[in-house]
Amino acid sequence: MRQRRLRIVAATAVAALLVLAGCSSNSATSGSSGENGGPAEITFWQSQFEPYQQKWFKTYVDKFNASQTDVKVKYQVVPGDTWQQKLKAAQAAGTQPDVATTNYGGIPAGVTNGQFAQLDGMLPDKAWSDIKSNVAGFVQVGGKHYAYPMLVEPSTVLYYRTDLVKAAGLDPNAPPKTWDELLTWAEKLTKGKVKGMTIASVAPDLGWSSWGLQYNACGHLPINDDWSAANAKDPCYTKLFELYQTLFQKGWIPQQPKVGYPDATPYGQGQVAMMANGSWAVGQLKQTFPTMIKNTAVAPFPSVDGDPGKPTSTLGGWTLTVDAKSKHKQAAAKFIEYLLAGDPAIMADFFRQSGFSKYTVRTSVDQALASDPAATSDPFMKIITDKVVATGKAEPAYPFDVSLAFATAIESVMKGKADIPAATQKASDAIDRVIKQQRLKGTAPKG
Amino acid sequence: MSMIDTSAQPTAKATEVTDPSGTSRRRRRRRRARVTEQAPQHLRAHLTAYLMITPMVVLLGIFVVWPLVYAFYLSFFEMSFYKDAEFVGFDFYKYVLTDPEFYDSLLVGLKFALMVVPTILVLALLLASFLATLSKRMAAFMKTTVYVPAVVSSVVAAIIFVFIYQDEGFANWFIGLFGQGPLAWLNTATTALPAVAVPAIWLGFGVSTLIMLAGILDIPESYFESAKLDGANFWQRTRYITIPSLRNVILFLLVSGLTLTIQEFQLPLVMTNGGPVNATNTPNLYIFNSFRDATPYATSYSLTAALLLFIVIGTISLIIFRVVSSEKSSDA
Repeated sequence: MRQRRLRIVAATAVAALLVLAGCSSNSATSGSSGENGGPAEITFWQSQFEPYQQKWFKTYVDKFNASQTDVKVKYQVVPGDTWQQKLKAAQAAGTQPDVATTNYGGIPAGVTNGQFAQLDGMLPDKAWSDIKSNVAGFVQVGGKHYAYPMLVEPSTVLYYRTDLVKAAGLDPNAPPKTWDELLTWAEKLTKGKVKGMTIASVAPDLGWSSWGLQYNACGHLPINDDWSAANAKDPCYTKLFELYQTLFQKGWIPQQPKVGYPDATPYGQGQVAMMANGSWAVGQLKQTFPTMIKNTAVAPFPSVDGDPGKPTSTLGGWTLTVDAKSKHKQAAAKFIEYLLAGDPAIMADFFRQSGFSKYTVRTSVDQALASDPAATSDPFMKIITDKVVATGKAEPAYPFDVSLAFATAIESVMKGKADIPAATQKASDAIDRVIKQQRLKGTAPKG
Repeated sequence: MSMIDTSAQPTAKATEVTDPSGTSRRRRRRRRARVTEQAPQHLRAHLTAYLMITPMVVLLGIFVVWPLVYAFYLSFFEMSFYKDAEFVGFDFYKYVLTDPEFYDSLLVGLKFALMVVPTILVLALLLASFLATLSKRMAAFMKTTVYVPAVVSSVVAAIIFVFIYQDEGFANWFIGLFGQGPLAWLNTATTALPAVAVPAIWLGFGVSTLIMLAGILDIPESYFESAKLDGANFWQRTRYITIPSLRNVILFLLVSGLTLTIQEFQLPLVMTNGGPVNATNTPNLYIFNSFRDATPYATSYSLTAALLLFIVIGTISLIIFRVVSSEKSSDA
């Protein structure tokens, strides 16, 4: 009897171990090599963007796989809101992708963490010299390249409905130049169920979408240039706080926005007369709300004092990076070279599909598009290129916690939870805490 | 005891070798009987039970206990998946415990639980008392109806309630009947948390009602009959019979309800993402959002915050068990 019991226990333990062994031997082969003759298999994770982008990526991944036999790319789309968890889980298990989409702001921190492979020497020199000078610095840390850029897109552009503007007795050819004028427009355009405009109103969106306006108000971000101390209490920020506060508290922007800042749906559906949004909204309007285009005009977002030379936008955008632990760095670089740095027609096709709502980072792609009448005749592209991209600043490279602390202050003021001095004091303390705990002092990237 | 067992072992083997006849088998049987008698009574009685729980204990050990121990170990390091982990001692505990947002989130979790759990208990008690008086067929129908929200996914419920709270949604239409509103339910600091609590109550009261109903049906009918004869009304019967008899059921619902609702995550994530200005930032949502940052700091910080939340919730449960001691119900 006793022996039988022991046997049961032993059998159970063995069964449990077998189950565990089955669980753990999952993807150890992912990204496996083709050392015994087959192609080197690399995984590529793409953060989910607008539907046309997934289509473009899939098309060219398939073409790349068909065009040669040395490298086989396994393509996977990952939703943005689960990206970090999925990536960290994969990193912990050693199954992280060889190639991944990374935004400019994430590069310096990733390099500090040793996450990205250095790409100098893996891509030909002419690929690097093709990158436009205003973007070249975005993918470098300490003079070395850690990513290849794909596009830039300004974070803040003003869109407005010319028909509603005319109906309100305003001149659609003279868009607001200062924040005070913008408030006047928002007030006059708020009629019935149509609100004057949309702009970010929750901290996670304000965190990044207000960077350009923070530069505009003060010429700096709420932290010292060397990241040694917070600089959030500068009185020049008062106007910025008042802009958001007035728009929200006067009811000139939706009180319960249904979608986040980057989504142009409320404007497309006619719920608002003006919209602060990134250049990508052009693509969404063209594809989802094409009838709205003829009544839409774009302008640089107004400046605090009307000076059009001050930045109002940061230039965000995406790159491809190679994981530092990838077993096939050269194969991964070959794929990046094909997709982003090779034949300019491939990227030109991307910008065409985006409805020219994103901006090129390579001189050769500009040249490929120069002969395309659709690009040259686009009503929005020239204004955004000349007046917004030209003054745009790079995204800050500090941890998002810093941006979130300042954005929480803006939201607190908007929603009446704190006055400006109390909110900025709290933000300043929070930023100082981030600096100390994350040891940021002196780690700001140079240049 | 065990000493006697082991010392008996070699002798038995020797006997077996020297005497291969039938006597050895008899002796063995006798000896085995003696061994079983010598094992402690409680062990013998529960051996089958221990065997039955072994697989679960092994699995819990592997998937719960060991990860927990390992998590505590890791919380003393700043973890990186690319560099060697750096030993930082209690630094991350200090960071979490000095972060006002951590305390704010705990407060939000507590407020949320205090809105949800007592409401569920009262509603469930009333509804269960009512169900107990119904005919069998009617009770079956009502039980199903009450239980339906419990099988709705909380993400679906969250989205439905987001629509209800829209500017032109049902909630504003309803208060409009009384000449009020419209309110920005989910974007006003004072209304956001109660607005998120409503779907939590809706989702949770079905199960609680059924558990309470089971408890009520276990109370001997004679108690109620004699109380009725003595002229006790519904409230008196509830106050002096139902509630005292349901003591353990209520304690269970209170503890499990509190620990679950403090950890509510999906509803605020979908409905408000913790806003406005962190008014609905429950502890788990706070931890989740700090984990979303890409830095090694964020990984270690959220791990430590999660461990501290584990301690906080464990302490709260302990306090409740101390205050409302679990006793055998009066009829047992």
